[in-house]
Amino acid sequence: MLLKTRAKPSIATSEPQRGMSLSECEARFSDGDAEVRSQAARELAVCDSGARVLLSRLEQEQSTLVRESIFTSLTQLGDSRAVAGMVELLRSEDAELRNGAIEALKLLPESVAEFIPGLLADIDPDVRILTISILESLRHPLVEEWLIEVIEEDQHLNVCGAALDLLAEVGTERSVGPIRGLRERFKDAPYMQFTADLVLKRIEEGNAA
Amino acid sequence: MNESVSITGTDFQKFREFFYRKTGIAFDESKRYFVERRLVERIEATRSEDFRTYFSKLRFEAPGEECQLLTNEMTVNETYFFREEHHFDCLIHSVLPELVRHKQPGEPIRIWCMPSSSGEEPYSVAISLLERWPGIKQWDVEIIASDIDTNILNMARRGLYSERSVRNVPTYLQRKYFSRRGEQYQICDDLMESVEFTRANLMNPADMKAYKNFDVIFCRNLLIYFDDLSRRLAAQTFFDALNRGGFIMLGHSESMSRISSIFDVRRFAEGTIYQKPIQVT
Repeated sequence: MLLKTRAKPSIATSEPQRGMSLSECEARFSDGDAEVRSQAARELAVCDSGARVLLSRLEQEQSTLVRESIFTSLTQLGDSRAVAGMVELLRSEDAELRNGAIEALKLLPESVAEFIPGLLADIDPDVRILTISILESLRHPLVEEWLIEVIEEDQHLNVCGAALDLLAEVGTERSVGPIRGLRERFKDAPYMQFTADLVLKRIEEGNAA
Repeated sequence: MNESVSITGTDFQKFREFFYRKTGIAFDESKRYFVERRLVERIEATRSEDFRTYFSKLRFEAPGEECQLLTNEMTVNETYFFREEHHFDCLIHSVLPELVRHKQPGEPIRIWCMPSSSGEEPYSVAISLLERWPGIKQWDVEIIASDIDTNILNMARRGLYSERSVRNVPTYLQRKYFSRRGEQYQICDDLMESVEFTRANLMNPADMKAYKNFDVIFCRNLLIYFDDLSRRLAAQTFFDALNRGGFIMLGHSESMSRISSIFDVRRFAEGTIYQKPIQVT
């Protein structure tokens, strides 16, 4: 039998190790090895002013591995600086950064909530649609209310369509009136008619149960 | 099932879409009774008025505790030898031949089973290697099996199993590697000596610093119990623990692609597993 026996343990009990300082992490961000930079990013998850360093590194970092570690650490930090920085990334031209920010923000319902009304009123319809993507998995009691505001007020067909799609899952009787209103507002858009009817049917079935 | 709470077709549809998005686990119509039974149990346990109230709690309750509890209910599985056997086939026929092509003579092959549970998985790995992998004559293999639960580790170290647990072990292998102890099966000393059991918490970075240089990780049916952030942290921990080009195997309902994009997807004849890139960029 050539399986190693456990007479000589290969997993040593690890000694408590001091975490890296902020300056050590910053220094490691210049390392050519993405794994070293990734580990530095993860160390910053427990560093009080880590968000500033992580966000500034994110702008220049091209490695998917390191970017993912940065987003995970920003999520762990979850402080106002981290959240505000990730909210700004919704405007980035870089799709990987936008998606990374969306995925991270979904995990921070309480912190991101204060930004949602502003984002849903953003001048850029793409930002409004990306914000609805955040709501898709956001655990927050105001999700339906925010979506209702969108379908009542937003003039953009695709933004309203995205909100309506999500109401199919989260809509209650409170959404019925606003959905009927939306159907009327976009009466020349067959997609909106079809989806609105479907969502209304779902809500009504839910009520009847 | 309690008749006072009912789950309509629309409720089931709504729930399964939500659950799929959260966990990647898809329930088709054939699983409806299974799903409904557990939903009704949780609706009653949380004293929710009806499905709608419960679903709202499930979806919006901030810490996601109820969602976690329900996930546990929906995914309860037992452990037994050679569970999801295609992974052992994959190890023998696809993974190890590829790994040894990049190994230097004398370098050990390191396999980590996390979680070890009561030991069925690491012992199944050991039996597979001894019985089916010719390379075992040339290569040293280290098998480390870890779990957060010290009671289950003690059970694993004891190596005593029920008939149900060994039901997938062919009779000739039962005779070779086990001895009967009344109604139970005692695994042989050689196999017990071949696995190093350790207590480790995947979510504790201090614990994880010692877990490095693995070539293969079995982490099956653990991540389904984690929330999204913990899954990402776990994926990064596994990435750090693997050698470049090393492989990780997840359970049938788990998908690394839904957790993280840092691993390469490898599709072998025996199934889909994940690989740490040889070139990390």
